[in-house]
Amino acid sequence: MANTQNQAQPTQYHIRLQGYLDSEWVDWFGGVTITLLDDGTTLLICQIVDQSALHGLLRQIRDLGLRLISVNSVHDSQL
Amino acid sequence: MSSQILATKLYIPASRLGSVPRPRLTERLNVSLHGNLTLISAPAGFGKTTLIAEWINAHEHPTAWLSLDEGDSDPNRFLIYIIAALQNIAPELGTGILNLLQAPQPPAIDTLLTPLLNEMAAIPHKAVLVLDDYHVLDSQEIDAAMAFLIDNQPPQLHLVITTREDPPLPLARLRARGQLTELRAADLRFRADEAAIFLNQAMGLALSSEDVEALEQRTEGWIVGLQLAALSMQGQQDTHQFIQSFTGSHHFVLDYLIEEVLNLQPSHIQDFLLKTSILDHMCGPLCDAILQDASQSGAATLESIRQANLFLIPLDNERRWYRYHHLFGDLLRKRLGQSTQIEVNMLHNRASAWYEANGFELEAFQHAIASNDIERAERLIESQGTPLYLRGIVKPILYWLESLPHHILDAHPSLWIAYASTLLLAGQHTSVEQKLNEAENALQNVGLDDTVQDIMGRIASMRATLAVIQNDAEAMISHSNDALARLHPENLPSRIAAQWTLGYAYQLQGNHRLARNAYKEVLQFSESGEKSFYFIVATISLGQLQELDNQLHQASESYLSAIALSSEPSHPIASEAFLGLARINYQWNDLESAQEYGQQCHELLQRMEHTDTTASYKIFLAYLHLSKSDFTSASDDLDEAEAFVRQNNFMFRMPDIVEAQVRVLIHRGDLTTALQLAETHNLSISQARIYLAQENASRALQILVPFIQEAKERELQNEVLKGLVLQAVVYKALNQQDTALEVLDESLALAKHGGFIRIFVDEGMLMKELLSEAVAQKMSPTYSQKLLMAFESNSGAEPSLASQALIDPLSERELEVLRLVAEGLSNREVSKRLFVALDTVKGHNRNIYQKLQVKRRTEAVARARELGLI
Repeated sequence: MANTQNQAQPTQYHIRLQGYLDSEWVDWFGGVTITLLDDGTTLLICQIVDQSALHGLLRQIRDLGLRLISVNSVHDSQL
Repeated sequence: MSSQILATKLYIPASRLGSVPRPRLTERLNVSLHGNLTLISAPAGFGKTTLIAEWINAHEHPTAWLSLDEGDSDPNRFLIYIIAALQNIAPELGTGILNLLQAPQPPAIDTLLTPLLNEMAAIPHKAVLVLDDYHVLDSQEIDAAMAFLIDNQPPQLHLVITTREDPPLPLARLRARGQLTELRAADLRFRADEAAIFLNQAMGLALSSEDVEALEQRTEGWIVGLQLAALSMQGQQDTHQFIQSFTGSHHFVLDYLIEEVLNLQPSHIQDFLLKTSILDHMCGPLCDAILQDASQSGAATLESIRQANLFLIPLDNERRWYRYHHLFGDLLRKRLGQSTQIEVNMLHNRASAWYEANGFELEAFQHAIASNDIERAERLIESQGTPLYLRGIVKPILYWLESLPHHILDAHPSLWIAYASTLLLAGQHTSVEQKLNEAENALQNVGLDDTVQDIMGRIASMRATLAVIQNDAEAMISHSNDALARLHPENLPSRIAAQWTLGYAYQLQGNHRLARNAYKEVLQFSESGEKSFYFIVATISLGQLQELDNQLHQASESYLSAIALSSEPSHPIASEAFLGLARINYQWNDLESAQEYGQQCHELLQRMEHTDTTASYKIFLAYLHLSKSDFTSASDDLDEAEAFVRQNNFMFRMPDIVEAQVRVLIHRGDLTTALQLAETHNLSISQARIYLAQENASRALQILVPFIQEAKERELQNEVLKGLVLQAVVYKALNQQDTALEVLDESLALAKHGGFIRIFVDEGMLMKELLSEAVAQKMSPTYSQKLLMAFESNSGAEPSLASQALIDPLSERELEVLRLVAEGLSNREVSKRLFVALDTVKGHNRNIYQKLQVKRRTEAVARARELGLI
């Protein structure tokens, strides 16, 4: 799946984090959608242009000391 | 020259009052010193830096500390800071390498690692090098350099790396060898007992053990979380209630706590924290400039924030510079994000202005980009005559330009130029021309005022530089001339570059007069400013021209002064100067000095990536071996030179190689191959030499006559000399005695001034006979006599013109030493002036004393004056 990624068409990624993030992080992460799930995790839904953008986002998550639970592209997320 | 070194990056964080002792960790650190590397790898807020700083401050090993930031991803800057940090342990360490790195065109860093390791290995005691926040680096070049340093790490140096992610270093190998100590999140997190000491002793709370345990579990021992929780509870009556609601919440620990902490602060402190959060480092005056609030002093506010334990970290002993804990800074910036973009831009703009006014170019530039102020960033790049990228700041500018949309660059054509320049400096030659085209397109609809002309001039100048890489002389000339016609008279850096390129092109085309004029312009331009890279290069180029004009003494002077101008240790470009000296001393038949200069050239070449000088050096070695009749080595040298030239596409050096190969082949009697080669490369002298060997002297003559004629017309003095020397031998072979002597006389006249010896000696027996006849006929008697004697003792010290009165005359080199001694120089000074080893000078002195039959320096000088030698 990953190698069919087209640079012109962003891929949607679902990123799950431990704990609830407040809505102020929307801008910080550059326009993600933040959804709080019942199991105490946060779902970030984001449009990712390419792999380096994805790694940049993951680095921001790392730098905040957030616990990363899963990263799925939207195709995989249906699993 | 380059941006100043921020001492705060080298500061070992001071121990904090009331920190929690962590013997279980410090003991592991003590043991770790036996290995190469300690890796502290854990997410933000786990107390990595604090742990190392506390440990360093408690043990007695000398420590070099470097707090890394994103800017250090530039390999050059990274190495500059590594050396600056190590100088805290050994003040003289790497001074020469530092000079090279701060030069306008520094050599590739991997060539400097071995010299750096050698200097590290000379540190006389155990030392620790700490690289704090390694994760901010994003450079494969640096990772490779670090891997190399670790592989070759001197035993007395221990490396500590703190990072949020495991670095791409050979960790598995170090682990397997027991050379690696790792402390990770699980080791670093506060256990319940440590949390209790922290909360109840260090932070002065009085919590029950249940509450401590609840906090420890909620934060999972995450130190920054516990610290924020403690701050939230300070001054609160009902801490139990606070802990209940905190532990009952699903919120991200920091989100929950930062609100609590900030809300406890008075509004002017909140405002201060948020606005100054845009700064990576801060001091009182800088904060004043950001806040522009006369009612509060930045310095005083910083001090009160530090006392309140609000994650403010002092960066020096004077409590001048501070930074926020990275995580706290991020949280503040997130809150600041609620302000409008315009407000945030304004804050960055103020920061940029302050940094610019205080001479921090890189920081000024970075805040200008952050404020989205393209004009300001553009102006800062171009500032002060020499653009920022020529002052060592390449990668940050390149990254920024890569991020800009096309239409912004089109609106600022000089940014296209900066783009092309930074690509060129980063070694990405192939994309340069495209950026230059973009610049031209962007300029199409703009009026041709002085500024635009200057930009067009810089485009042309860069095309000329690209032509140098392709060795295309005609393109160099047309682009350089175009550049010089358009460049602003005060744009000296660009004019000098274009002028040098012009000279180089003329030199390639064999037009020495125009080449010399161009180089002299470079030297003249440079006089007014600093002695730039091009000043040294032009001095060397002039030396090469003087060599080609048979002016060996002048050339030697030029090379020596170029070497003196390049720093110590010499810039690799000085390899050309050492090679020139080697060739000249070879000509003077001082083979020992020639070999020594060659060796120095060779050492500098190790530090250059690939340059055609390597081929020229091997050719020189071949001649040196030929002079000692070591044909096998000479042949090997030339094979290596040829392989190198083919591999690196320096085919324009092939004729020089073939010229020497022909001599080897003639010796072996393989005249067919020799002729094929000489004809392929259109080498007249070599062809003539082969026909002479075939005993077909008249055919040789047919080739030489027009060759000499043409060389005279084109004023190629060295070619004329080479042609005449061979022609004299050819006439001798034809038994045309008188003509042979006539031609010899002409060549002696050309060669005498430069003191040429080998060019005659290398011709062998026929030349020797001819010279005997010249002596007999009193033709240039002293010079001919000297040449003849060189045949007798075909190695070592050679007689000098001036030293006829001595039984065993002084060599040119010995005379040079003697003159310097007479000037009052010590042996050490003489060795420095002539760039030879001290022992070599002492050796020369012994010979001089013996030949002059004296015992002391003063006697030697007196005797030499008596004999008219000096």
